[in-house]
Amino acid sequence: MRSRTHSARNVRLPVWRARVLVLLVCAGFMTLAARALYLQGLNKDFLQARGESRYARTIDAVANRGTITDRNGDPLAISTPVESVWASPQDARLSSAQRAKLARVLDMPVRSLARRLADGEREFVYLKRQLPPEVAAKVVALNLPGIFLQREYRRYYPAAEVAAHVIGFTSVDDRGQEGIELAYQDWLAGKPGSRRVIKDRLGRIVEDVERMSAPRDGRSLALSIDRNVQYLAYRELRNAAIAHHAKAASIVVLDVHSGEVLALANWPSYNPNNRDTFHTKRTRNRAVVDLFEPGSTLKPFTAAAAMDAGLLDPGTVIDVESGRLRVGNRTIRDVHSDGDFLTVAQVIQKSSNVGSAKIALSMDPQDLWQVLTTAGFGATPRSGFPGEASGRLRDFDHWKPIEQATVSYGHGISVSLLQLARAYTVFATDGILAPLTFVRRDASVPGQRVISARTARLVRTMLESVTEPGGTALQARVTGYRVAGKTGTVHKLVNGAYAPDRYISSFVGLAPTSRPRLVVAVMIDEPEGEKYYGGEVAAPVFREVTAGALRVLGVPPDNIEDIRRPLDDELPREEV
Amino acid sequence: MNAVAGSRHVGRPEIEPDFDPTVIWLAAALLGLGAVMVYSASIAIAEAASFSDGQPHYYLVRHLISLGVGLAAAIAVLLVPMRCWQIAAPFLFMACVVLLVVVLIPGVGREVNGSQRWLGYGAMSLQPSELAKLFVVLYAADYTVRKASHMASLRRGFLPMFSVMLLTGALLLQEPDFGAFAVITAVAMGVLFLGGMNWKLFAILAVLLVSGFVILIWSSPYRMERVLGFMDPWADPFGRGYQLSHALIAFGRGEWFGVGLGASVEKLFYLPEAHTDFLLAVIAEELGFAGVVATIGAFAWLSLRAISIGNQAARLERHFSALVAQGVGLWIAVQTMINMGVNMGLLPTKGLTLPLLSYGGSSLVASCMALGLLMRVDYENRQLMKGYTL
Repeated sequence: MRSRTHSARNVRLPVWRARVLVLLVCAGFMTLAARALYLQGLNKDFLQARGESRYARTIDAVANRGTITDRNGDPLAISTPVESVWASPQDARLSSAQRAKLARVLDMPVRSLARRLADGEREFVYLKRQLPPEVAAKVVALNLPGIFLQREYRRYYPAAEVAAHVIGFTSVDDRGQEGIELAYQDWLAGKPGSRRVIKDRLGRIVEDVERMSAPRDGRSLALSIDRNVQYLAYRELRNAAIAHHAKAASIVVLDVHSGEVLALANWPSYNPNNRDTFHTKRTRNRAVVDLFEPGSTLKPFTAAAAMDAGLLDPGTVIDVESGRLRVGNRTIRDVHSDGDFLTVAQVIQKSSNVGSAKIALSMDPQDLWQVLTTAGFGATPRSGFPGEASGRLRDFDHWKPIEQATVSYGHGISVSLLQLARAYTVFATDGILAPLTFVRRDASVPGQRVISARTARLVRTMLESVTEPGGTALQARVTGYRVAGKTGTVHKLVNGAYAPDRYISSFVGLAPTSRPRLVVAVMIDEPEGEKYYGGEVAAPVFREVTAGALRVLGVPPDNIEDIRRPLDDELPREEV
Repeated sequence: MNAVAGSRHVGRPEIEPDFDPTVIWLAAALLGLGAVMVYSASIAIAEAASFSDGQPHYYLVRHLISLGVGLAAAIAVLLVPMRCWQIAAPFLFMACVVLLVVVLIPGVGREVNGSQRWLGYGAMSLQPSELAKLFVVLYAADYTVRKASHMASLRRGFLPMFSVMLLTGALLLQEPDFGAFAVITAVAMGVLFLGGMNWKLFAILAVLLVSGFVILIWSSPYRMERVLGFMDPWADPFGRGYQLSHALIAFGRGEWFGVGLGASVEKLFYLPEAHTDFLLAVIAEELGFAGVVATIGAFAWLSLRAISIGNQAARLERHFSALVAQGVGLWIAVQTMINMGVNMGLLPTKGLTLPLLSYGGSSLVASCMALGLLMRVDYENRQLMKGYTL
């Protein structure tokens, strides 16, 4: 080995070289400090802007959609927080075992999950939206990279199919699509706020920079609907429709003074909580958007118009010419005719087409048209419900005599069930037509007079006789209450011709007769089987719903001595 | 340790310490800062990583273990006289070269991110290139002292060292580890320069190297783009410029006094290698210009102190010790400058840790041992100045 003294003798470490090193080290570190000064002092605005663009995001602060309640505050549509699962395929590098697990939790095929995760370029893809919290918790427990949750609100409809057609539903993005949800979108929808946040690269918010605007929750809305009446109406309608193998059915229950819709249901219905049940066949609100020929339910308006014009009284006798009347080249017939002469009241009670036509033909067409128009036929009911049908009522100037005659018993005119129900409030309120609404009315709104109070009361009496022995709707009678109403049965119009074996059966009634509170209109589309008359098919629904609704609303009975009077064996049948 | 403690001169009125307090304080400050910043930079990635079991202090615990090992190694180094180090230097370096060969054997060396740099697993893993940095200082110092009389000669003074460096460099480039290659070459050449190597030779070599490098780059647009890409990270900020652009954003966000300890956003998965090679960017974001300048100042002070300890040893005619001390200073300065230059976009991105601060066991232990060597040199200086013999 070398000795140290030996090496020490030969070595000369030049001092200047160490000085050069010192200089270089100083220069190097000074350069770095200068660079830091440039980056952090001078160029910082540029760099911070670059940073902002990478991880500062403006995000919407979700606003809660307003609750929809019935008139008593029971919820019909509420928004509940749910979680949507999304992935950042860039980061979601999952093993096939992880994928299978996730697919099982999300209840989706592994292949479709794989397809969604396939595009590694994308930063955001929904895997499944609006999961219940317990499923979302399972997703979190899997602790997979690149899989995230996003808080959303999902609309939940406690009444499900019972009130589906009134409430409607929202899209997955919480916008109203149908019904009240659509009509009151602006009222119910909140205003989403926004805030500026910093997100980490995995998309998690790490810092709130500033709140730009606060979210404003939507306002709640109390409907005119009474949930109990609605439930009753739907249940009875459904039972009847199924029992009679009907194609469809609708029911409307109105508060006659306020014009509030207490219940409105259609069958078939759908479950707004389950989008799989959404088909237009089911989601269409038939009572509002579908039109049909009302048939005999229109006769009371003919009688009312004639009485209001001072042409006749309930007792006026009309020659019904044994149930046959020739107008122009067509013949109007009554199916059952008991004789040649009927009073006006009997024309209504027994539903004589000929009698009705003769009344109409004795009138100035304008008088009839005027009553029908002011009662709301031929125009939208303006209830605020989206897609209301206006129906067809031709102008009287163009009426031919046969038209004038047929309109009088509800042919050659089309109405919606909602229109028809509303028009009947005229008989319930001594001649006043209240504006319709689906929203609870806390103050009464003045209505429009259609016929005189006297005429209205007279027609009401005639309508009551329909539910009495000798009338067409004995099955509409409600124990303890006096009720009034009118049946209707029409052949369905199929491609412009009346189908011989397809009917629309209806009953529109009011109760109690002494101090009317409700109008209930029932329409059954294509009942099959032995029974198809309005008095047999629709009137029982009216009875059940009216009986229940009057009790729910606490309306005192007006027929306490009632009523187990023996019914006539033979039920007179109305005209078709 | 007994020998060290027992040698204190009790009777003097003003007690000269046996160890340089500057080096101790600077080392303590840098190691402390490193531990804090490694923890801050690694919490998020540790929590998210699959191997950490969700433990936020996964990296901190490992860093502290490495630090403990490093301190123990530094004390062990401190106990060994420089005489022994000089004797052992060539063997240590040779052993190190062997390890550099072993690490290249497939199945023995472990590959991470395309570089085969590691031996062993987990807490027991070793990066031979980090050891090479330490031992090349010893080897170059010993070589220079041994060949002192031939230092002016190209053939006898320069070429043997040059070929050793060529071999070592080739091994490092095989891994590849350009960072270590640059540091080792710079340290070896630096020590030769300090040791009296013919400066004209040096100048020629420097010119040759630089012009060769320039021609190499100039001849290929692809290579030019690769090398010069770092100058404009915003041209491709989501591709090649990704890492650097995020490092620069971190600097910009930090401003003068930083966003506050722990508040970095860049460390939240945006900036890759935040707790290792790009730790300075996190320091810049959280502690601002003040923190960066303090870090730069501490490293500069430490390097200059090392050179000055070396000068002291040179004045005491302890040439090997002098070159070792200055070599350590040079190593710390070069590696720090390259790391910081990379962080700030002055140099192309190369994997190189910030000595004493970054996470990474081998690097931390090797830098601690280097400080141990430095303090040994200083200790022996002080003993001689106090009139003791060694």
